[in-house]
Amino acid sequence: MTKTIEKPDAPNDAGRRTFLKGLAGAAGVAAVTAVPVSKAAQAKSIPLEMFKVAPAQVTPVGGELDPLERMRGELVRALEKPVNERRWVMVIDLRKCVGCNSCTISCVAENHLPPGVVYRPVIHEEIGTFPNVSERFLPRPCMQCDNPPCVPVCPVNATWKRDDGIIEIDYDKCIGCRYCITACPYNARVFDKGFVYNDVPPEPVVSTAMVGSEAAEQYEVVPTFEYGEPRTREAGQSPIGNARKCHFCLHRLEKGMLPACTTTCIGRATYFGDANDPDSLVSELIASPNVMRLKEALGAEPKVYYLQ
Amino acid sequence: MNEKTNIWLKVLWVVAGIGFLVGLYGLYARFVFGHMRTDYGSYVPWGLWVAAYAMLIGISAGAYVMASIIFILRRKDWYPIARAALGVALAAFIGGMIAIFLDLGHPERFYELIFSTNFRSMMGLMAWLYSFYGLMLLLLIWLSWTREDNPWLRRLGYLSVPYAILFAGAEGALFGVVGARPLWESGLTPLLFLVEAAVSGVAAVTVVSYILGYLDKAKAAFLGRALLILLLTNLLLIWADFSTALYAGIPAKSDAIRSVLFGDFWWVFWIVYMLIGVVIPLLLLAFRPKSVGAISLAGLLIMVTAIATKLSLVIPAQTQAELTGLERAFTGPGLKFEYFPTTSEWLLYVWIISAAVLIFLAGFVLLQRVHKEAN
Repeated sequence: MTKTIEKPDAPNDAGRRTFLKGLAGAAGVAAVTAVPVSKAAQAKSIPLEMFKVAPAQVTPVGGELDPLERMRGELVRALEKPVNERRWVMVIDLRKCVGCNSCTISCVAENHLPPGVVYRPVIHEEIGTFPNVSERFLPRPCMQCDNPPCVPVCPVNATWKRDDGIIEIDYDKCIGCRYCITACPYNARVFDKGFVYNDVPPEPVVSTAMVGSEAAEQYEVVPTFEYGEPRTREAGQSPIGNARKCHFCLHRLEKGMLPACTTTCIGRATYFGDANDPDSLVSELIASPNVMRLKEALGAEPKVYYLQ
Repeated sequence: MNEKTNIWLKVLWVVAGIGFLVGLYGLYARFVFGHMRTDYGSYVPWGLWVAAYAMLIGISAGAYVMASIIFILRRKDWYPIARAALGVALAAFIGGMIAIFLDLGHPERFYELIFSTNFRSMMGLMAWLYSFYGLMLLLLIWLSWTREDNPWLRRLGYLSVPYAILFAGAEGALFGVVGARPLWESGLTPLLFLVEAAVSGVAAVTVVSYILGYLDKAKAAFLGRALLILLLTNLLLIWADFSTALYAGIPAKSDAIRSVLFGDFWWVFWIVYMLIGVVIPLLLLAFRPKSVGAISLAGLLIMVTAIATKLSLVIPAQTQAELTGLERAFTGPGLKFEYFPTTSEWLLYVWIISAAVLIFLAGFVLLQRVHKEAN
């Protein structure tokens, strides 16, 4: 069985790179290295199998499999199970995080987040007093709580916990009352007030020295794929006026791809996988004695674990 | 209606008319710019309009209970005041509904509240409670203005009192159940909302009765005593809530209370609420217990500062960062823990209040004609 996904609907790597580049230019952040777009990625359609790389197919470098390759293999394995048997969790190793914000930016690029909307900020904390000081970086995605405080408060059933544990939002049902935002103890839900980086439709730029300005212009025009639905940004239309949050890149997971934050983490500090699979990397990691979760006392049972 | 009443009514028409016209810009900004011209956002998701909604619903419930009690006790001499109270209840209710409707990100989907209700959500529950409340209110207004001796007034009154208590308490519970906001999460919050509803409702009815010339010395003195007792009860609840939390000293809650008392907006609590809304009215009520003017002035001060109590509850609970350093992690519009309403927000607030006053005045003129024809 070969499922295909159509371009431009497919969130392929080339698209992401271009976006990343565009965003870097638009935001004036450090320029991101341009990666040549492969011919395969330019093709009209991409077979789903392309994303399915089993561990056995990958030749380990230096005898050890890159955690990303291992997790991709485990992801494909989990996708073969029924949805209710998967349990997606994220593990973030705080000792490895260097605070580069790649995850934040890749998430923004992946989901075409507008100004004021962020799914995965990285909190910088200074610990200690001089001369004994250190810095800690704490990425904060949605915790996808097992006992989510945001779900029961929604007056119109527009948000719920999926069988695989991800908290989903129905953008077309959400009335934008923001009760869920007040109920989240992690500030993980945000309100899309309707701001845009560019004019929609974009004004043609005559000349600019900005790296990636062409891609940046298209930022609001090209659709996002959150929850598997292609959406372009239009005034007054959802997700403007909605509550939004991280969804572990559900649209990518279903295509056999790891969340954007996980693949772009330069220090391999973010791990992702199925905690119901005893052989998965995340299952091993969350059994460590140095594992912790944020605000454990509230009883929300978050599914984002931190190693410290 | 005497001359003095006529002057006051004219003043009210003019003031509300000006407020309505000036406030139109707020309505325009809301429709053209959506939520972009507002200061609330992701970390402080609820602002002035939510506080206005909570305040107006409180006034409505308070006035409604007052009218119901008059019908239960069959105090015919108080019936004009009861009818005015129902008018206040309806106007405040409509104002509150407009405020929350315009606050929604997608107001055009409000029907989902009825057709896809989540009854585990206090807000979902409130949608139904509001619907029945609106119907009961209209029914009571119709009955009270058309036939004074209608036995259904008393029967509905018996139903109305517990219903309004449930309703105003549930309004408080909407905030009281939010575990993520320690300032709201308290068993006292629904009680506080109930008492605040009663205080502001009775205060509004006192003012309106004064303007309409319904207040004689005896009635004013009675309303004054009621206001005095309610104000003191309100103070007691605030004291109980704040003192225990400050003594326990758990930062999540005590920091929020400290920000109410000593934060940037300390004056909202101390000057607007405590001085103008509590201390001066208490002095007026205690030392001028028989003066119609003093009691009405106390009512006016309580009524116009009712927004301050709601702002002191709604906003500081959200300005405490749930994760330290979050506001510096990523910046953008709405990603901050400070809040002060923008000009557009204030103007829309003015528009809503003015619209509520105009609805009351227009309804009153209309219903007086109905009343004259019926009786």
